[in-house]
Parts: sequence; C-alpha cells; structure tokens
Amino acid sequence: MKIVIESVKRGVRWAWEHKVRALILLMALVLALPKQVRSQFDPCCAVVATGLTTISSTLSSVIGGGLNSILSIEKDISTFEQTVVWSQNLINQARALVASVQGLFNQIEGIMRVPVNSATLPATQKFEQNLLSRDPNQILQMSAQYSAVYGVLPAPTGASPQVRDMTDMTDAAAQAAMKRAIEIDALADLELQAADQLHQNIQTAAPGSAPIIEAEADAWLVRANAYTQSATADLMRLRAIDLANASANVKNGAANAAAVQQQIYNLLKRQ
Amino acid sequence: MAPLTNALFGFLFILFCYLIVAARTRRRVLTLTLAGLLVVAFVSPPPAEAQGSVLLAIQSVMKVINGVINTALKTINSIRTAINKFYQEAVWPVAQINQARAMATQMIGQYRSLMQSIYTLNLRSATLPNPIGLENVMRNHQTNDFASLTTSFGNTYGSVPTMTAASAADRTMMDMDDALAIDNLKTLKMSDAAGDLTLQAADGIETAASQAAPGSAPFLTATAVVASVQSQALTQKMLAAELRQEAARLAHENSLRKRGSTMTGDVNTQILNLLKRN
Repeated sequence: MKIVIESVKRGVRWAWEHKVRALILLMALVLALPKQVRSQFDPCCAVVATGLTTISSTLSSVIGGGLNSILSIEKDISTFEQTVVWSQNLINQARALVASVQGLFNQIEGIMRVPVNSATLPATQKFEQNLLSRDPNQILQMSAQYSAVYGVLPAPTGASPQVRDMTDMTDAAAQAAMKRAIEIDALADLELQAADQLHQNIQTAAPGSAPIIEAEADAWLVRANAYTQSATADLMRLRAIDLANASANVKNGAANAAAVQQQIYNLLKRQ
Repeated sequence: MAPLTNALFGFLFILFCYLIVAARTRRRVLTLTLAGLLVVAFVSPPPAEAQGSVLLAIQSVMKVINGVINTALKTINSIRTAINKFYQEAVWPVAQINQARAMATQMIGQYRSLMQSIYTLNLRSATLPNPIGLENVMRNHQTNDFASLTTSFGNTYGSVPTMTAASAADRTMMDMDDALAIDNLKTLKMSDAAGDLTLQAADGIETAASQAAPGSAPFLTATAVVASVQSQALTQKMLAAELRQEAARLAHENSLRKRGSTMTGDVNTQILNLLKRN
C-alpha cells in the first residue's frame, strides 16, 4: 500500500512538472476509452423498428389487400368460365353427341351401300353394273355398253341429216348424264369419307379448336354444294335436250306435212 | 477484422504514451502530438451515419409501396374487374345463355312433333291389290325387302316378255327401263331410311343445343356442318339416280327414233319394190 501511495505521489509530481505532456496523455486516454454501445432502446433502433413495422403493415394492407382482391376476382372469373362458359361436363356431353351423330351417319353409309342392281339380261346387266359402279374408271366403257342397249346412230342413208343430228345430240346428252351420275356417286362417297374423318376429329377437339374443324367442314359443304349444282346442271341439260327434241319433232312434222301436201298436189296435177 | 484493429490501436496508444513520457524536449512532444493526431485522423473508422438517412430510406420504401405498387395493384384490380364484368354482362351473360337454351327448348316443343306428324302423314293412294302392294313396299323406308319390291313391281308392270314374244331390241330396252326404275325405287327406299336417320341426327343436335354452354356449342355447330356435308352427299346420290333415270328416258325415246328411221327406210324400200312390180 505504501508502494502504491508512493507511486501515485511520483506520478502526480511528474504530471505537475510536465503539465503539457500530462494533458496530452489525458486527452489520448479519453480518446482511446471504449465508446458506448447502442442498445435496443437507442432512439435510432426505435426509429428503424417503427419503420419496419410500418412497412410490414403497409405491405399487408396495400399489397396483400390488393393481391387478395385480384385473387378473388380471378377466382370469380375462373369459376364463371369453368361452370358457365366452358363447362367440362357439357363439353363431354357435346363430344358424346358428336359420336352419336357419327354413328347415325355410319348407319346411313351402310344403307347407301346396299346393292340395287335389278337388270336380268346380259347386256343390260353389264350396262347397269357400270352405271352403279361409283367408279370413274368405268366411264370409258360406257359408250359401247350404251349402244348395245339403245342402238347405234343410223347410217347417213338410213335417216335424214336432221334426224341424225338430233339422235346424236340426244345420245350424247344421255351418255354424258350417265357418266356424270357415276362421277357424282364417286364424289359423294369421298365426301362421306371426309365427313367421317371430320367427325372423328371433332370428338378429340378442344372448344378452341372445334371452330377450325367447323371451318374445314364449311369448306367441304361449299364444295359439296358445287357438286350438287353440277349434277343439277346436267339434269337441266337433259331436260333442255328433251324439250329441244319435242320442238324438233314438231318442226320435222311441219316440214313432212308440207312435203306430203306438195306431193299430193303434184299427183293431182298429173291426173 | 475488428480484434486486429483493436490490437493495433492498443499498440499505437502504448507507443504514443511511452514516447510522450520519454520525450526530452518540448519540441519533440509537439511533434509526437501532431503525429498522433494525424494517425488518429487516418486510422479512425468513418463516422456512423446519422439517424436521418435511415428515416429517409424507410420513407422512400413507403413511398414506393404506397405509390407505384399500390397504383399498379389498383389498376390491375380495376382491369380484371372490368374484364370480369365484360365477360359476365356482355360476352356470356348467363341470362341470355339461359334465354338461348330456352328458345331451343321452346322450338323443340313448338315444331318437332308438328313437323313429325306432317312428315309421317299417310300418302298411300293406290286402290287395286297389285298397286297397293307396290306402293306399300315402295314407301316403307325399309332396305331389307328389295326382293319384295322387285316382285311387286313385276306384278304391277309385268315382266320382260320371252324371247319369242318380243324383239331382242325391245326386250333389252324394256329390261333396261325396268332395271333403272327398280334401281331408283330401291335408292328411294334407302334415301327414306337415310332421311329418317338424318332427322334423328338433327333432333339430337337440337336437343344438345338446348343444354349447351358457349364452350360446348362449337362442337355442335361443327358436327351440324359435317352432317350437312353428309346430307349433301346423299342428295347428290339421289341426283345421280335422277340423272340416270332421265338419261335413260331420253335414251329410250332416242332409241325409238333410231328404230323409226330404220323402219321408215324399210317401208320406203318395200313401197318402191311394190311400185316396181306394178
């Protein structure tokens, strides 16, 4: 204890003798002292804590609230679309109906393939088989078979030029119509085949892709209408030729009557 | 890093104290003090940021949340609300969807039975046994009794004469005419059966339309169009049969014309021969 008191006295004496140095050392000591640590209760941390709490509550209310509103609307839209607009149940029902319609048309196709041949004589049987063949490759054999049944054009010595023209034109129209019938049968078969494909595709389609298949079917419908028109045109041609024949018969009758009249007149003159 | 800095700082502090105590002149004390100050100035850590910058950062975040994000969310919300309203009120209003379904149901009730009863009216008009038989078989919409049709046709219109009873040309033409007439009657029986099935398909599509949703209707319209293509194909088959029949009728008349020419030529020759003899 004595040593300590002695040391302190010596230090004080040194400080008194070296006032400037003591002052400098004191200032250095003050500067070197450890600084105070900021506690949680520091005003700065309190501000940060308050700020974070505010941010959290704002995130919950502004962003959370906004997102919840959007979520509720999205749910509403989703429910509406799934129950009212694109109801899976009704879509499946529609697909089932497509399958049922396809089944009906398959039955029809089966019915339309039942043979209807009825001729009994060899020449007519061949001709009828060709007419009902639905095979466009058979068209080439049509003329010979037609002549075998309906006869050939009279020789130039066998009929007047007018009658030969009329006969040839009528045969041509009749044969063309028969060829057109074979052609239309073949086209109708292909249309039925395409329709079957379309039906199969509709059954596996989505609501968004069904209109594309419908557009394709529409195109086929337009095409089918064109073929129907072409067949109707040939029918009209046949009737026009028939009318023309009736008219030609009247004309020929008039010419023949005038000729007979002239010959009677000539005979009477001779007597 | 911090313990190393503290050790360095402690070492420098002890060195500074020793040198100050050991300095022999005032000039050296002053030099050491200035050096110490310089060291403190360079080595000391940067001053801590003030409380003001934290506040500014928090305020800035709050401003972003309340400004840009809030506005964006409100805009998205209002757009989605508008879309929802547009869907439910303009594009797919449930009331009008139900109205369309009700219309289909109402049309089914109003027209289906009525049209069916008109379509199935009895059109048979024959009075004699043979024509009655033919008419019945012609109009029964069946496709499994073609043999009965051929028999009934023969009973009503007769059969092709034997070889001794008619010329070969006449027999051929009669057989062809009969064949095409029977072919067409058979085709018509097939068409009648097909027509029944087509009507069944149309009924099915109509019934489905009365229960459809906007999303399932495209399937129905697509199948209806395909059914139209098939129906058109059947119409074409009937037209083809009609073409054959009309062509055969024309060919028949033309054949008679050809024979008429030949017969006229023969008669002319015979008259000339008679006149020559006289």
